[in-house]
Amino acid sequence: MSNDQPTPDRFNLASQNHVGQSVPRREDDQLLRGQGRYLDDVPIPPQTAHMALVLSPHAHARITSIDVSEALALEGVLEVFTGEDLAGMVKPITAQIELPDYSSNSRDVVAVDEVRFVGEAVAVVVAESQYLAEDGAELVDVDYEVLAAVISLDDATDVDAPQVNPTVPGNVYYDGRFATDAVAEAFAAAAHIVSEEFRSNRVTAVPIEPRGCLAVPEHGDTLVFHSSTQIHHVLRTALAEFLDVAESNLRVVVPDVGGGFGIKAALYPEEFVCAALALRLRRPVKWVQDRYEALLTDVHARDNLYRVEAAVDDDGIVLALRAEIRTNGGAYAALPFGCTLETTGGARMIVGPYRISQYEYTATAVATHTTPTCAYRGVAQPVCFMAIEGIMDRIARRLDLDPADVRLRNMVPTAELPWTNVVGVRYDTGSFVESLEQAMEMADYREFRAEQAKGRLVDGKYRGIGICSFTEVSGTGAPGWRARGLTRLPGFDSGLVKVEPTGKVTAFVSHAHSGQGHFTTFAQVVADELGAPLEDVTIVEGDTGSGPYGTNTFASRSAVTGGGALIRASAKAREKLARIAAAMLEANVEDIEVENGRLHVAGVPSRSLSFADVAETAYAMNTTDLPEGETFGIEATDFYDPPLVTMANATHIAQVAVDAGDGRVEIEGYTVVHDCGRVINPMIVDGQVMGGVAQGIGEALMEELVYDDDGQLKTSTLADYLLPASVDLPNFNIAHIESPSIDTVGGFKGVGEGGVIGAVPAVVNAIGDALADLGVNVNTKPLRPALLSGLIREAGG
Amino acid sequence: MKPPPFSFVAPTSLAGVVEAMAAHGDDARILAGGQSLVPLMNMRLARPDVVVSINRCDELDFVEVTDTHVAIGALVRQIDAERHASIGTECPLLVDALKHVGLPATRNRGTVCGILAHCDPLAELPAVALVLEAELVLTSAGGERRVAAEDFFVTEMTTSIEPGEIISSVEFIRQDPSEHSAFLEITNGGHAWPVGGVALRWAVTDGVCTMAHLAAFGVGSVAQRLTGAENELVGSDLGPEAIATAAIAARSEVDPTGDIHADADYRRHFVGLLLERGLTQGVSS
Amino acid sequence: MTEMHDIEVTVNGRRRQGRVESRRLLIDFLRHDLGLTGAHIGCEQGVCGACTVLLDGRTARSCLHFAVAVDGAEIRTVEDLATPDQLHPIQEMFHQKHALQCGFCTPGFLLTTVEFLEREPDPDEEDIREALMNNVCRCTGYANIVEAVAASAVELRRRGEA
Repeated sequence: MSNDQPTPDRFNLASQNHVGQSVPRREDDQLLRGQGRYLDDVPIPPQTAHMALVLSPHAHARITSIDVSEALALEGVLEVFTGEDLAGMVKPITAQIELPDYSSNSRDVVAVDEVRFVGEAVAVVVAESQYLAEDGAELVDVDYEVLAAVISLDDATDVDAPQVNPTVPGNVYYDGRFATDAVAEAFAAAAHIVSEEFRSNRVTAVPIEPRGCLAVPEHGDTLVFHSSTQIHHVLRTALAEFLDVAESNLRVVVPDVGGGFGIKAALYPEEFVCAALALRLRRPVKWVQDRYEALLTDVHARDNLYRVEAAVDDDGIVLALRAEIRTNGGAYAALPFGCTLETTGGARMIVGPYRISQYEYTATAVATHTTPTCAYRGVAQPVCFMAIEGIMDRIARRLDLDPADVRLRNMVPTAELPWTNVVGVRYDTGSFVESLEQAMEMADYREFRAEQAKGRLVDGKYRGIGICSFTEVSGTGAPGWRARGLTRLPGFDSGLVKVEPTGKVTAFVSHAHSGQGHFTTFAQVVADELGAPLEDVTIVEGDTGSGPYGTNTFASRSAVTGGGALIRASAKAREKLARIAAAMLEANVEDIEVENGRLHVAGVPSRSLSFADVAETAYAMNTTDLPEGETFGIEATDFYDPPLVTMANATHIAQVAVDAGDGRVEIEGYTVVHDCGRVINPMIVDGQVMGGVAQGIGEALMEELVYDDDGQLKTSTLADYLLPASVDLPNFNIAHIESPSIDTVGGFKGVGEGGVIGAVPAVVNAIGDALADLGVNVNTKPLRPALLSGLIREAGG
Repeated sequence: MKPPPFSFVAPTSLAGVVEAMAAHGDDARILAGGQSLVPLMNMRLARPDVVVSINRCDELDFVEVTDTHVAIGALVRQIDAERHASIGTECPLLVDALKHVGLPATRNRGTVCGILAHCDPLAELPAVALVLEAELVLTSAGGERRVAAEDFFVTEMTTSIEPGEIISSVEFIRQDPSEHSAFLEITNGGHAWPVGGVALRWAVTDGVCTMAHLAAFGVGSVAQRLTGAENELVGSDLGPEAIATAAIAARSEVDPTGDIHADADYRRHFVGLLLERGLTQGVSS
Repeated sequence: MTEMHDIEVTVNGRRRQGRVESRRLLIDFLRHDLGLTGAHIGCEQGVCGACTVLLDGRTARSCLHFAVAVDGAEIRTVEDLATPDQLHPIQEMFHQKHALQCGFCTPGFLLTTVEFLEREPDPDEEDIREALMNNVCRCTGYANIVEAVAASAVELRRRGEA
């Protein structure tokens, strides 16, 4: 079922033979054979030195002395550097955020005088092997004067809370406000006010591959920097700026990446240190973190508190919404996004697919002595939708309406799209109502409710069904980043399409892969737009040494920006092929058709040339002259910067059974109907959705980073930070709706984050629904068995 | 992380192992499956100077059924014990528990005795050892001694093993064919350590409970027998009321502390719950 | 003086020798000394299973073994499954069912599947999910891996292989 709006021609592909097909992945062969080359697999030159960090064991302390002599004396240890040493090589790293009411802070890549979270580096050991580097790190003797620390976002702005950073007064990074003109009136007149406080606890991405980097000085002053990153160009520019080296002497190469999920789209002090030390020592330097360090120092996320209230009429229509959003930014604003993504994201996205015209928010990002927070798949949205969708369920309960009906009544009907929401975000196309209705049908929602009406407790289990209908920010371009204060982030991405002398196609795109199948999906796009056989198209990405500059891969943007840029570049290349072919065939260029690697005169298939034939002319490798005015070669570059953001949407429905005795939750059914515009590869889209849902289920039920009152991370191994296992997850029932975007080249929308955005609220709501008859209020996550069991027993269940 | 340096020896006999342990005392640790020890060494939390591997001691790889017991040597892997025909017949409770231990790959290499020596408060087997009246056979340069399970598990990560001693085998009582047993545990997620569990063993004659050995783990620093609950059951008809009374007794005789995975209240609650579930499913089957 | 040991193991059918520190983990010996980088390090605690190899025929956590302690053992890694010309049927099914995304955990899953299907040639979904507890995947949500294992069982039976 697709949107009724006609899709403008310019947004359609020249042909569509591959886009839309579940083309099997060309990445797989190497990976299945164990020949993937991840960071730790990259062959290292002889003389490579290994780096290990000495981490602060205190959340807040002054460094009073560092004695490196014992470490230096250990055979195999080459050097030990302190924060002071590194300060001479790397400027304090700063995220450039331009927002009113924003306080910035910088970070020494290795702490100089003061440490601000457990896990902050205080010294760096360089040795002949990783084993020896760790031995050396143990021998560095650091004396601290322990200082008072503030850990929780509730305490950060207390009058007597210790100041985390001198440039962040009152521990407030950002305090944003917004209000339309008639909120107070709407609340005053409301028949009902439904309010709730939602608390989301801290999580992180946990890609199975930990982070790492390898810095290799090469001839001249060049440094080749391999990093398990999602943002190679952004990293290169930052390395140039903060190390004060020429960007043209830096090359960042992304190896195979074992999962990123946004946390590898941050720039870390270790990367700057590794590069700086390689330049200083004039030898390759390698750093790979272990899982303990990963849990401790990968950027964290979702430590958020939402107080939400809705002014509602007797039909369950939300007339006005108020949100007080508080996010924990941690000790430093991470690069490049700073720590306000969750703050601004939640504030801007909470209205979701609903027609809410009166809205007021305060959105505050606070500093605490904890690990910096930044972007993790979903960024704010799993939480803001946990909030608004939780409000929808509460409206339903208050007014004795069905939760799905309340949503349907509040949704913007598809016929009214394009539509701009109350904070100015445009929804160009979408299927809010359709996705909910279809999901309900697939999940036998009405039948479930009918059965449930007989009683929620059956055979010792409370059963519930939970909905999350949401909009998903994707494909953010420069305007979108500017709106959120990220002025340093370019926004555009680039494609460079080459037809080689032998007629094959190499297409470069300014993205980096971490499991999304770029080498396959981008090839599908190029093949269709250029008119080449799929197997003749090779995608190259993830290397700043080849291919054009871009904003790289995060926030569900690669299909939109990479697809868009490649379509434009492919179109240019196709046009050039056609012009040269027209000349060679003595035809009009308007009569040239391109199909499957050949160009022919319309209606006269025998008058045709292969790409190789045309390329030979273009590369002056035959005796045919190029047409007048035509340049050599067939190489076209183009760029794409999407307008603001591209909004995708979906509905998730989760069915759960909560064991009345032990509080354990089983997911008995899971349905997704999502709309990411034009789908490039349905199989890959489904894979992204399933993986995201799995992370969301984990987040709802078992994942949590727990700090104690002293700021020690209690969950520092995978035995304590629990990831969902095969037995914890259901099968997934997934359907697609395609409402091609009318704002983007190609009509694509992003989908990478949708799975987790929908799953957290759907599961939380399902559990709330299951326990609704008991009067149990479910407004937090994770919902461990102990928590649920306690609530059930407290309620007399 | 990488472990700190150590010396490694792999004697081919129990005598050789014992000699090495005598020479190095507290500075040495036994390496059997390594699935408990090596993670600690990788985190640099365990730092033995000497690692003494028993993996070459074929004489420790045995399962022997005596008149009263099943003896399991120190080198018997968890998976092999789980699949062993005699153990399945004689100690079904042990087999039930083994299915829950660790993950498949750790069960392939980890040993039964290794778990008992490690004495993790959340391990399954110490509770089984209590209930199956196990005896640990400890060998040292000075000879052999036997310690009953109830005297062996002292507190978290601490047994009554003396320096220089190793567990050479463990003996579990043979369950009578007419006995019932059940093993239940609760976890917060598939890969998690359990929150806790119970190992239950009981006998009924002419509708009257004649024996009940019940143990719980996850309710304290070490697995414990639920003697109060046992007393409620023995002599009862094992009907719903008797079971409920036993559950109440079980809850009142444990004194758990809470942690991030489960609070004390839940730990107290699940003991009674699992007791009820185990006894009810056993009674009805 | 660092204590070194000479070891000999059979890896993927070939006898390989090495000289290792006592503390050198098997995963590091395989990856860096023998160049078999298919097994990966994800946690060094035995939870994630990215380091899984077959040790004397059974899946084992190579991050929890010292190379010296497995002297004399037979080890199979993921590199042993395919030939230069052809993928192993299990690999083929993982490909067909889109059972990998970033691929980092995949070698471990493949070896778990080899072990599992040898023992259980005709498993149901519950058996499969139970067996797949041996490995953690963060990308796929497991559903496609379950399908790939089920399809592998069918394919292996069809080809009459063990």
